[in-house]
Amino acid sequence: MSATIRPFGMLREYLRGEKEARVEGGQTVRQALASLGIPPEVVALVLVNDQPQEKDYVLQEGDVVKILAVIGGG
Amino acid sequence: MNGYGGQILRVNLSNGQISKEPTPPELAREFVGGRGFGIYFLLKEVPPKADPLGPQNKLIISSGPFSGLMIPGAGKCDWTTKAPLTGGYASASMGGHFTAEMKYAGLDSIILEGISPKPVYLFIDDNKIELRDAAHLWGKGSMVVEKILKDQYGEEFQVAAIGPAGENCVSFAHINHDYGRQAGRGGVGAVMGAKKVKAIVVRGTKSIPVADPEAYRKAGLELFKACKEAEMLKEWTSYGTTIVVSWCDEVGALPTRNFSAGSFEDGKNLYGPVMRQKIVITDKGCFGCPSPCGKYSRVQRYDTYVEGPEYETIGMIGSNLGLKSIEDVAHANYLCDEWGIDTISAGGVIAWAMECYEKGIFTKADTDGLELKFGNAEAVFKLIEKIAKKEGIGALLADGVKRAAQKVGKGSEKWAIHVKGMEQSAYATHNATAMLLAYMTCDVGAHHNRAWAITYDLQVGRERVAPEKVARVIWLQHFRPMFDVLGGCRLQWVELGIDRNLYLPALEAITGIHRTWEDLELVGERIWNLARLYWMREIDGFDRSWDLPAPRFYEEPPTSGATKGQITRFEDVQKLLDVYYEQRGWSPQGHPTPQTLERLGLQSFVN
Repeated sequence: MSATIRPFGMLREYLRGEKEARVEGGQTVRQALASLGIPPEVVALVLVNDQPQEKDYVLQEGDVVKILAVIGGG
Repeated sequence: MNGYGGQILRVNLSNGQISKEPTPPELAREFVGGRGFGIYFLLKEVPPKADPLGPQNKLIISSGPFSGLMIPGAGKCDWTTKAPLTGGYASASMGGHFTAEMKYAGLDSIILEGISPKPVYLFIDDNKIELRDAAHLWGKGSMVVEKILKDQYGEEFQVAAIGPAGENCVSFAHINHDYGRQAGRGGVGAVMGAKKVKAIVVRGTKSIPVADPEAYRKAGLELFKACKEAEMLKEWTSYGTTIVVSWCDEVGALPTRNFSAGSFEDGKNLYGPVMRQKIVITDKGCFGCPSPCGKYSRVQRYDTYVEGPEYETIGMIGSNLGLKSIEDVAHANYLCDEWGIDTISAGGVIAWAMECYEKGIFTKADTDGLELKFGNAEAVFKLIEKIAKKEGIGALLADGVKRAAQKVGKGSEKWAIHVKGMEQSAYATHNATAMLLAYMTCDVGAHHNRAWAITYDLQVGRERVAPEKVARVIWLQHFRPMFDVLGGCRLQWVELGIDRNLYLPALEAITGIHRTWEDLELVGERIWNLARLYWMREIDGFDRSWDLPAPRFYEEPPTSGATKGQITRFEDVQKLLDVYYEQRGWSPQGHPTPQTLERLGLQSFVN
């Protein structure tokens, strides 16, 4: 069971420029981010299959997770 | 002059004289526009120690070379004046469509001088410029006035108006435009009210000359293309600034109950996606915006419509007052807009009053019978009106949190959360040293928009006091406000992440002047130093003590949330200032040295 993490903008730097990464399902988004070396606290918004979710959401098979950083504020 | 309307409009309200003069080319070359023009006129024309609400103060409204042109978000204008809230420098940026019409009328700046003997509004239709009687508008809400004037003159006319709070010179009264965009901070609305100007109505039909029309068209299209192709576009547009509410809650930056904590146990009710689902009815953009971040909302429970709430309002009126419902926050936002007060300062001063009540310093005898506990939305609604009317306890709070705390005493100065008299906006900075420094040194008081450094804190270690953090804050203080000089919006660069270098060919094609970002950052540094000179000129004994934050951030660790138990040590606060002054070329008391002024070519502004 696996899901896809798709970082936007500066978060790609954590994947050395890769556009997406595969992670194991059954874990939370927070755990998946940490496993990729992305500090969960720099992620502002998590969209699972284009729906906003919290970082404690447990990943399901085939989920596509978009993650957005906070870049510069208002 | 390429890229400019070409004229400065002066309106002497005392004698009704209206005159125009050409925009000096050297002013455009050296200070570019927007807040660059504002600080120049403020320093050169408003005499030292002028009463902010007196006839000598001026209200200076300026567009920039991007304003009204085919550049993403080119709808920003700057409102500079001597601030009633702080006694120092005020420069408030306002979006919407006002500045475009102003420039089409050929105006780079509008300077309001003196005091009108009776309520008026300024009417501008190209070359037809008149002061008109506003007796029928006086006392009305700012959005009601906008509707009346738009109904009278037509949709093309843009309106900026004050509410009753501006008329009553509430020290944090704002100027409202486009049914929910504001020149918000420092009390610019009180200056307009003191001058007895209820509104400005403007339409223009003239062309703006550009140096190289074909290069301009190409560069403008490139910028819009970059915005439309930005991968963040859809998500950013969906949530706007509310995108950061959940994040701030998570990292302990969401001001909660007067900044006593940085996470709110009921914060989830205020998150962007919840707001979008519950109250947002459409997105709303400013002039020429490809990524409309404004959220227009309807609150069914109160039958009110409001643009917002934005993140800052959710933080300051929501969690900071303990309000648990986004509908309550949105309704309070509507009340602030209509009565005409800044939501950030309102949230700051009401939170202070609530803490006074909960600590027993205020009783119901002091609060006109209001149960001023955190979380009491009805009390918040009533207080907003009382502040605008300066009625009962509202008269005390209308002076801003610094003066209110000085008046009340009893230790309440400790929880008056401000810098230089301006209420801190919505980032709790107990353990975020770059953001704390950004607030301490911001040129208008504790405002976030000059340097938004809190993500940098998280990236490099939030408690660290390192020279690179200080350098980052200084760079942001020059770079971000440059958009307020150019008359454009920074959010396409900040949030969509478009390449900042795309702006340069556009600026050159428009003005015919080649500039690099280094050139523009130098303009930013000059403006920053001039603002500092203004504070030094206006406030006797202005020194580093004016840059200290509220004691809460170095004396009282939060009791809950992600930053529980964490504060910045006072010696680190002082160290931050030492490093900051050194990097800026300022003395240990925070004054630009003669060498720095010489390097920046600003000697003529001293004496």
